[in-house]
Amino acid sequence: MEEYKFLFKIVLVGNAGVGKTCLVRRFTQGLFPPGQGATIGVDFMIKTVEVEGDKIKLQIWDTAGQERFRSITQSYYRSAHALILVYDISCQPTFDCLPDWLREIHEYANTKVLKILVGNKTDRDDREIPTQIGEEFAKQHDMYFLETSAKEAENVERLFYEIAAELIDQARSKDNSSSMNKNLSDSVGLSPQGSKPPQVSCCSGLSNQSSSQTGNT
Amino acid sequence: MFSYRCMRLIIPRPSVSRPPCSCCFQPCLIPLGCCGCCSALRPRYKRLVDNIFPVNSEDGLVKSNMEKLTFYSLSSPDKLDRIGEYLYQKASKDINRKRYKFVEIAMEAMDNLLQACHAQTTLNLFVESFLRMVQKLLEDSNPNLQILATNSFVKFANINEDTPSYHRRYDFFISKFSSMCHGNNDNIELRDSIRLAGIKGVQGVIRKTVSDDLVENIWEKQHMEKIVPSLLFNMQFGVNVMFVKKNMLASGDLTPVEDATVVTPPVLAEEVLRELVGRASFGHIRSVLKPLLTHLDRHELWVPNTFAIHTFRIVMISIQPQYSYTVVETLMQHLDNNFKSSPKTRTSLAVVLSKIIAIAAGESVGPSALDIINNLLTHLRTSVSTTTEITPEESQYQEALINALGEFANHHPDYQKIEIMLFIMNTVPDLSKKSKGDQMLQNILLKSLLKVGTQYSTTSFEKAFPASFLQPLLKMARAPHDPTRIIVMQIFQSLLDRHQNEKVLSTVSIKPYAALSQETPSRSDIIFTHKYGANIMQALIDSMALSEKLDSLTSSYNTAALLIVEMACGETVQEFLLFILGIQQVATTSDDLSNIHKCCLHIIAIALLTLTARVTGINNLLEYAQKIIEDRKQEATYLLPPLLDSKKSNKSYNLNLPHLAIDKMALAECLQNAGMDFNRLQTGVPYALNQIDNPGHRHSWVESVSNHMTHRNSSADLTAYNADADSISSSPGVSKKALAPEYTVDAMKRYLAEPPESVKREQQEKQKQIVRAFRESDFEDLMKRTEPKHDVIQNRLNDLFNSLSIDNKTPQNAANQNEKPIYETNFPELFYY
Repeated sequence: MEEYKFLFKIVLVGNAGVGKTCLVRRFTQGLFPPGQGATIGVDFMIKTVEVEGDKIKLQIWDTAGQERFRSITQSYYRSAHALILVYDISCQPTFDCLPDWLREIHEYANTKVLKILVGNKTDRDDREIPTQIGEEFAKQHDMYFLETSAKEAENVERLFYEIAAELIDQARSKDNSSSMNKNLSDSVGLSPQGSKPPQVSCCSGLSNQSSSQTGNT
Repeated sequence: MFSYRCMRLIIPRPSVSRPPCSCCFQPCLIPLGCCGCCSALRPRYKRLVDNIFPVNSEDGLVKSNMEKLTFYSLSSPDKLDRIGEYLYQKASKDINRKRYKFVEIAMEAMDNLLQACHAQTTLNLFVESFLRMVQKLLEDSNPNLQILATNSFVKFANINEDTPSYHRRYDFFISKFSSMCHGNNDNIELRDSIRLAGIKGVQGVIRKTVSDDLVENIWEKQHMEKIVPSLLFNMQFGVNVMFVKKNMLASGDLTPVEDATVVTPPVLAEEVLRELVGRASFGHIRSVLKPLLTHLDRHELWVPNTFAIHTFRIVMISIQPQYSYTVVETLMQHLDNNFKSSPKTRTSLAVVLSKIIAIAAGESVGPSALDIINNLLTHLRTSVSTTTEITPEESQYQEALINALGEFANHHPDYQKIEIMLFIMNTVPDLSKKSKGDQMLQNILLKSLLKVGTQYSTTSFEKAFPASFLQPLLKMARAPHDPTRIIVMQIFQSLLDRHQNEKVLSTVSIKPYAALSQETPSRSDIIFTHKYGANIMQALIDSMALSEKLDSLTSSYNTAALLIVEMACGETVQEFLLFILGIQQVATTSDDLSNIHKCCLHIIAIALLTLTARVTGINNLLEYAQKIIEDRKQEATYLLPPLLDSKKSNKSYNLNLPHLAIDKMALAECLQNAGMDFNRLQTGVPYALNQIDNPGHRHSWVESVSNHMTHRNSSADLTAYNADADSISSSPGVSKKALAPEYTVDAMKRYLAEPPESVKREQQEKQKQIVRAFRESDFEDLMKRTEPKHDVIQNRLNDLFNSLSIDNKTPQNAANQNEKPIYETNFPELFYY
């Protein structure tokens, strides 16, 4: 059935051409589309994963890297539970822009958002950013770090699964700390008030209810 | 319990369950027979729902069974939510199994139910399932499902729900629809339909939320930042297409076949933007405008600004008119924020501003109008002060700002234009500031003043030149900087020129101006001339003496000529003649002027004299002027138009030719011969340079006449008395000035304060004095005073003496009775005090 315990919103950001769309496509569809065109505005994908027996629904918003779409992409940061900041390990400028991206994230996203730094394109031979540099940068800015290759499907699954696991942990600890609120949906406190995922609040509640009702009848 | 009842009634039918068992949660391992048995145990609503699905998905919704389901849900609305939930579950499974046809059927069924049951109070719960269904479809990557879902959503959005739904959220829909607006499918047709669906969805969300205060606040930043750019993104695409089309049409590559029936994403996006802006209340305007401006910034749509203008026009037209001012304000703020960007961007911004400001002008009144003006002026000022050197781009920017100012002023009623002009005048830096920046600023501000001035259509000078405006303007007319002065002259010209003569009079000439159109000045014009004409002429003389440059002199001439055309008449001609004499006098007496300059002044003087003569139609004067011209033609052609260019000719001219000059006495004689009053001319002093320090109306007629009055035995008194004694209408040839000897401000005050008795007494007293003057002074003396004897004058004197000899009590009373109306008609402005 379509029940899921948590719904998380994940937004991918980063310079144009670092492979955000490819990461998403690889993860959601298992494809690596060669010659993927530039994303316009924002793309949307959904994937349900299972972590520790719980069904987790991931809403993945894949933003355009191009400068001109910055205004619309920024508006998607706010409701994100996790932000994946992607750079291209074979392209120094994409790494150099990271501080700018962090500034944007800081400005527009929720302060408690989970941030993951991803160095993509590990399959390429012309690496410009050593793993260590990326790792250090991530550590400095309080981010998780992972190097991936969408082409080789390396670490892509792991990336999203770890995010899911981490978000579950966060949600659970929140849930425990505010034990008065048993409703799981409310426990997903990563989103700012007013923009918590409606799906969780109504779906899980309702579908549980209705399934029990069907059982009763 | 319900299902037990059902069991009795229902015999399992093969059609109830579809081959892959849909009635239970187990996979299809259960044998068919059991399934049939199962279905009998199922609640009725489930069976009804199951029945609407055909065996073969291609057959579509089973209509008759759908009717049954609808009837059922109407008769037992409490089941509605369960039906919805069940449909949703079925559809979810079908999506997972990629049986899209069945999904479509489920969606259609939901649509039907929604339409049929929207009056039900329990609809709320059904809507939850419905929206979850829509969301489910939207989440799928199949574009057709997304479009299908959007269509359903739009249908839902058009339903007015009775019961509020506090907990319903549209976050996802806004995000998803915005994302769809940016659809980028390789298939252009599909891409466009996805985009269209996205826009429609956005429209649906707007409709659903705007009217209902209880649900999501659509105006919140996070929503608007998605919606507005999505709409603009589609629109900007349309403008490009439009332009390509236009160009192609122009070049003939495309036949003008417009398919109006096909709605394209740009068209729809524009429509939605209009709707959105139209629904925005005051507090929400900014939340629309901010993302709009950001989008234009980000996509670099200011240069060129076609799209920006297009967009802002749309905004201005669709916005509730009382808020249009906010748009202007916001755009100006944006200009503020952009003060560091390239002049090109700023120019474009200012141009956009000038294009839309007109639309806002109608609605902004009073302080808000001045606020905008002030803001524009501030921008001009910063532009001037921040740039050390004026680049072409920067001056284009300034031009654009000035244009905006002009546009804005243009759409205000005339009385507000005056206010605006006054306001601008007050911001012009003083002449005392001589730095280059200030001078530039002076020029710029005066230019903007000129812009406003050209929009103003003068009807009455009194209104066009309030004293508080005229005085500083006159001061600026004496600015040492040539271009500044020329602008001031242009301002005068545009405000003076009521009959579009400015072009006609732009060259100095002694020949009649063929295209000149004129009208006799009205009473109030004459009053204005008497009050302020002298000040203006004074400033003109000064400005003429300041520079020998041709353009500067020509513009001064142009102003003077316009002044004459607009204001000269029998009653004011003397003042103008004194002015002309003044110009000549400057030429003859000032030593520090170059010879060329002096020649030019002579030329201007004679040209103005001819013009005056023609305008007033005093033939004697014209004859005299022509006589001088003839003489000059013989002896000194350089004293005739055209003006001499100081750069080209450096010959030395003999200027000591008094017989070729205009003679004051001769002028007076001309007037006298024409039967007009000439005393002012005879006694007055020609205008001279730099009399600005002498306050007020040095040459003001009111004062000068009252001065005359104090000299009891001047002949002005005679006419005064005469006119007084006869009724005013009986002496058309006589100047009506004479009527107002005592009607200065003070006199009027006194008159109003004093009881009529004393006034009467005073008048009688005055008359007695006059009479005494004539009785007691020598006859020779009297003869001498009225020397330039003429039949008319003599006759009048005779009349006078006759009337004096008679007891003048009776006519006096008559005059008294007439008094009041006379002031009122002649001196309405005096009653303002």
